[in-house]
Formats: sequence, C-alpha cells, structure tokens
Amino acid sequence: MIKKLFVVFKKDFLTSRRDFMTVYIMVVPLVLAVIITLFAPGLNDTTVNLAMLKSDDTQHIEYMEQFAKVELFSSVEEMERRVLKRDDIAAIAPKGDGYEIILQGNENDIIETYAVMLNTLYELGSTREETTAQLISFGRTVPPLKTKLVNMLISMTIMLSGMLIAISIVEEKFENTINALNVTPISQTGFVLGKSLLGGVVAMAGIICAVLITGFYDVNWFMILLVGFTSMMLSFIIGFLQGIGSDDVMEAAAGVKMIMLPIAGSIAGYEFLADNWQWTMYWSPFYWAYKANNMILSKTADWGTVLLCTGIVIGLSLLVYIAALPKIRKGLS
Amino acid sequence: MKLLSSYIKEMKIAARGFYFYIEIVMAIILLAILLFAVNETSSSKSREYLYYDMPQEVIQYMMEKNIAEGNSRFAESVELTVKPTEFEITNQETGETKSYNFEEAATFELQTLETLDPKTGELVKTVYITESEEDMIRIAYSESKLGAAIKMDETGELSYRYYLQGYETDRMENLLYILHNETPDVIEAQKDAQVVRTLDITEKLNNRQNLVPVFIAFMGSLMGFFIVMAYIYLDKAEGVIRAFAVTPSSIWKYLITKIMVILSTVIVSTSIITIPVMGGQPNYLLLYVFLLTTTFFMASLGLLAASFFDTLTKSFGAMYGIMIALMIPAFSYFIPSFDPIWLRFFPTYPMLQGFKEILLHGDAGYVLTFTFVFLAGGLVLFLLANIRFKKTLTV
Repeated sequence: MIKKLFVVFKKDFLTSRRDFMTVYIMVVPLVLAVIITLFAPGLNDTTVNLAMLKSDDTQHIEYMEQFAKVELFSSVEEMERRVLKRDDIAAIAPKGDGYEIILQGNENDIIETYAVMLNTLYELGSTREETTAQLISFGRTVPPLKTKLVNMLISMTIMLSGMLIAISIVEEKFENTINALNVTPISQTGFVLGKSLLGGVVAMAGIICAVLITGFYDVNWFMILLVGFTSMMLSFIIGFLQGIGSDDVMEAAAGVKMIMLPIAGSIAGYEFLADNWQWTMYWSPFYWAYKANNMILSKTADWGTVLLCTGIVIGLSLLVYIAALPKIRKGLS
Repeated sequence: MKLLSSYIKEMKIAARGFYFYIEIVMAIILLAILLFAVNETSSSKSREYLYYDMPQEVIQYMMEKNIAEGNSRFAESVELTVKPTEFEITNQETGETKSYNFEEAATFELQTLETLDPKTGELVKTVYITESEEDMIRIAYSESKLGAAIKMDETGELSYRYYLQGYETDRMENLLYILHNETPDVIEAQKDAQVVRTLDITEKLNNRQNLVPVFIAFMGSLMGFFIVMAYIYLDKAEGVIRAFAVTPSSIWKYLITKIMVILSTVIVSTSIITIPVMGGQPNYLLLYVFLLTTTFFMASLGLLAASFFDTLTKSFGAMYGIMIALMIPAFSYFIPSFDPIWLRFFPTYPMLQGFKEILLHGDAGYVLTFTFVFLAGGLVLFLLANIRFKKTLTV
C-alpha cells in the first residue's frame, strides 16, 4: 500500500516538476513572507500624517516629528491640495498667534483627535522630559499585525494546495488518466493519499520556510506542524470534492472561489466579530486552525487549547470526508 | 452581427455550466454577509486593563463623572481565566527589570467600563478594572493588551504607569509621555480652544458600505482576470480554438465575446451586492461604466497572460502571483495612513478608490480619468493578447 502510494506521489512529483507546479507552491509563500517582512513595519506605524509649512518654526516641526510623519510644503494652498488627496492627512497651519488644523472632512475620526491633541500639547509646552508617566515593557518585538499576516499566509498556502488538487484532478479526468489508474493495482484510497502527499509535503515545506523568513524562529514547531497538517487534510478533501465534482477546468476555477469564501470568512470572523458573536464561526474548521495558529505565533498557546482546536478540525474534516466518501468513490470510478 | 451571435452563443454555453450560477450564489452569500454579519457602525474590539491605585470613593466619583459626561458607560462584569505564566518586565527609562512567575492558573472577576465617543456615542474601547496592580500586569501580558496603573498622590495628582507589549512604535511611546505633563482639565480646556477647518464636507461610507468597493473590485473585476484565463484553457483543451482557426471569424471577435461574458456576469453580481446595500445613493451610470472598463482591463490582462500558457496548471504560478500582488492595495484602503506612492501604480488601487468615490458621490474627475486610463490600458492589452493569440492559435 505504502509503496503504491509513493508511486502516485512520484508520478505527481514528476508531472508537477514539468509544470513548475511544485516550485510555485514552494515559492509563492516564500515571496509573500519576504513581502510581509518588508511591509510589516510600515503597516504597524500607523500614526497620523501631518502636513506643515517649510517656513514654520523649526522647533514646532521637530516637535511634531517625534509623534507623526511630517510632510513639508511651501504654502498653505499646497498644504490644502495635499489634504484633499485620497489618503488621510491633517495639516497644521499658522493662523494669527496660533495654529489651525485643516482637514478634508472625510478622514477617520482618530486623525482629527490625534492632530488636535498634538497641537494642544505643543501649545501647552508638554515635553517628554517633564512627564509624570512611566513606560514599562513586556519585551515583545513582533507586532500583532505581522502575526496576523503570517497566519493568513499559512491559511493561503493551505488553500493553494487544495486548489492545486482540484485543478489537477480535473486535468486527470480530462486526460482519462483516472480511468487508466482503475486498471492498475493501486486502490482508490492509495490514489487519494498519493495525490494529497505531494501538495501536503510541498505546502508544509513552504509554510516552514515562510515562518522562518518572517522571523518566528522560537514558536512551538510541533504545534505549527500539527495545526498545519490537520487543516491541510480538510483542504485536500474539499479540493478532491471540487475536482471530482467539476466536469471541466471552468467549474474547478469557479470552485476555487468557493474554497476562498470559508477561509476568508473564518479569518474575518475571528478578527472582526465581537466576542459574543464568535460562536457563529464555530462550524468552520478554518476558524479553529486560524485561532490555533494565532495563539502559537503570538506564543500564548498551550497544548490543551491546541489539541482541542486540532481535534475540532479533524472531527469536522472527518465529517466532511465521510459525507463525501460515496461521491469521491463514484468520481474515481 | 457575428459578434452578437457569438456573444449569445457564449452566454448560452455559460448558462449551461455551473460557473455562472456559482457567481450569482457567491454574490448572494456576500450580500447576506454584508447585511447580517457586518454592522453599519464599527464595533471597536480595543481592550485595556487598568488598576486604580486610589481610594474606592475616588474611583467611583471619577467613573460617575465620566458616565455623566457621556464618555463611558458600565457594562456587565466579565470573568477571565489566565494560564500559568512566567515573564519579565523592563522599565524603559531606568532599564530596571522585574521577573514574574505565576505557577497556577487564575480566574479574575473584572469590572467593565465601555469608553464612548462623546460626539457619536460609539464604542471606542472596553476597559477592565483589576483589583491589584499585579493582576493587571499578569492579565495585560497574557492577553497581549495595554495595561496601566493610575496612582493618586496625597495632593490629588494622578500619575500613570503604562505596561506596553514592547512592539509599540517610538512615536506612540513619545505620545504617551507627553500626555502626562498637565492635568486633564488643563489639556481639555486647551483642546477646546483648537481651531479646526474642514475643506470639503464629504460624506463617509459606513462600516458596511465601506466593504462594497472591496467586494466589487476583488470579487468582480479581479476575478475577471482569473475566469477569462479559465475560459481560454477550457477552449484550448476542448480544441475550440483550433476549430476557430478554420472559421472565417476573426480571433479578436472570439476574444471579445469571452470578455463580454465576464462583463455580463460581473454586472449581475455587482448589482446583487451594491443595490441592496447602497440603495439609490451612488451614481449608477458612473458605477457601471467604471465597472465595465476596469473589468475589461483585468480580463484583457488575463487574456494576455493566458496566451503564454496552455493549461491552467502551467499558468498557476503567474496567475496566483499577479492576483496576490493586485490584492496588496487593500491594505492602503483599510489603513488610509499607509499610502506609499509605489502602491498607487497597482491597478487595483485606483479601482478601489474609484468605486469608493462613486459610492460617495465624490471626485467624478478622478473616476472619469481612470475610466479612460483603464479603457486605454485594456485596449492595449487586448491588442497585445490578439497578436499573441494569432501567433499561438494552435497551441
């Protein structure tokens, strides 16, 4: 059985090598990991952008630069033109003895609050040296946004392998290789497992490299691999179902959109739903996988919770598999 | 006439397959998500843990004052369980460190206060009050949230000790420092004296409406890129393209009918999402013109990309890479202060902004400019795709 399984794996590996498929699944997460590493600091630094006059008091400009990204302009008209552009930026312009804050009117409320507060504190002469506040740090260095992006990248890689299976099954059907396989000694289960093995191995390698590139060296790797492996099982089942259910590549392509929905929905649900509405996402195994990965990457996970999450993922995957088994068998016959 | 009959034939074929219906089902699902799962007003998930180091009567007085001014309201107390943990804290100024080791899990009953925007009454953040500073430190660490101890001295002056995670930016830390030079009353009085001038009173999209441009751009126009590629590969696999080569019809007519099918589908799915959420608010003529030109551009890009490969599997890497790159401008859309210049060169950037402007009845000049840009760009891509397909017709 194992030997035959590896025959399918080897065949898939050779075929995919010709199409550069294996390379793509490996490379895409790595490229995205590099992009996350490059962009995460900019995304994390979301303090207000301010427009100021070049002719303004140097001390005033330097003061604001401690708290905001400052852009300098030659005239108030230029500043106003800048404020009217699409992004959120507030201008602080001299007026009489003081300053006025110029806004477009459609900014996020926080922009006005922040600009007003900064100018207030400047006018009061507030300085860091005279503060009564103390700052104490827990010493964490990875911002939560980076953790979320890496977690999304893991979900995307898993989805990618599911998509790949769906498309490759359709192509196998088109080329009649599935019928040819039926007359070989390999069983249907062996074919299913062998077909999944390539996507699984390559996607897991992609995930490991991506997690390393983004700097999460000291996470619990056993936990990451466990969650990755279990959530991939579900992705494969869905991939198989879509591949078998689709008569042509067009339907498989449309099916890909359908795979994206529960994954994107689970991420959005976890991130944006209020705590008392989180239960509405409990049906989704992707939700549990995302939750578990979030805890692992932010180093707040414990084995009890991770095992519970993976148990739910496996349970839901098995339910889908058992329900879909007749369809898979029929499709492969 | 030939074009029309080809288009009708393609639409009939599309209506026989699942794809067309999946698009409609997807649009209905997205609409249901917008209407039932997304609130019109954004609900903040921001949380803080505070410990008040002062007599209970003073805490009560401060809270009641805030509630009376409309700045906050009481919410139901919550029970929070935290796991055993071990960590170290460092004072940013002195470098002094202190270690904590909690060997047992603990459950805390936390008084909850919701901070509100006094102007809109919307929730800004939820504040949980702990009974001791050590509890607050442990919870702030375990929950990865901001913690603070607020102490009142004999003269009634307040001093703050913030417990940060460590990844906060220098700008954020600087702000926390300068917030605590003057008393809140002095700051409030000076704040009220600030002059704010608004240049252009523009309507804002609510939380739900704000998602419509993203759904239209990504589920419609961007998917046009992907779907047109799938159409071409299907025809290649079935030999339709070879058959086409021996007909008197020209290749561009074949390609344009594929795009027309995508355009028809996108009009239906966009209408399903937009009309129930936005009602009569947008300029629909401008919306559909912009939708058609952006989808034409993306579908032409898809055609050109498809001309370089002969199966969906082979084009997978290029296709996936382009789609991911085109999704990056969504970061700038949701985080407007992140708006680097290079991002504006991605076609999905003006797409998202254009749809937003249309829904807001905003800058029509911007929308029309990019309508022409996408139309011209789409035509160039279409011509290139046509040249490629003429050369590779039998691939």
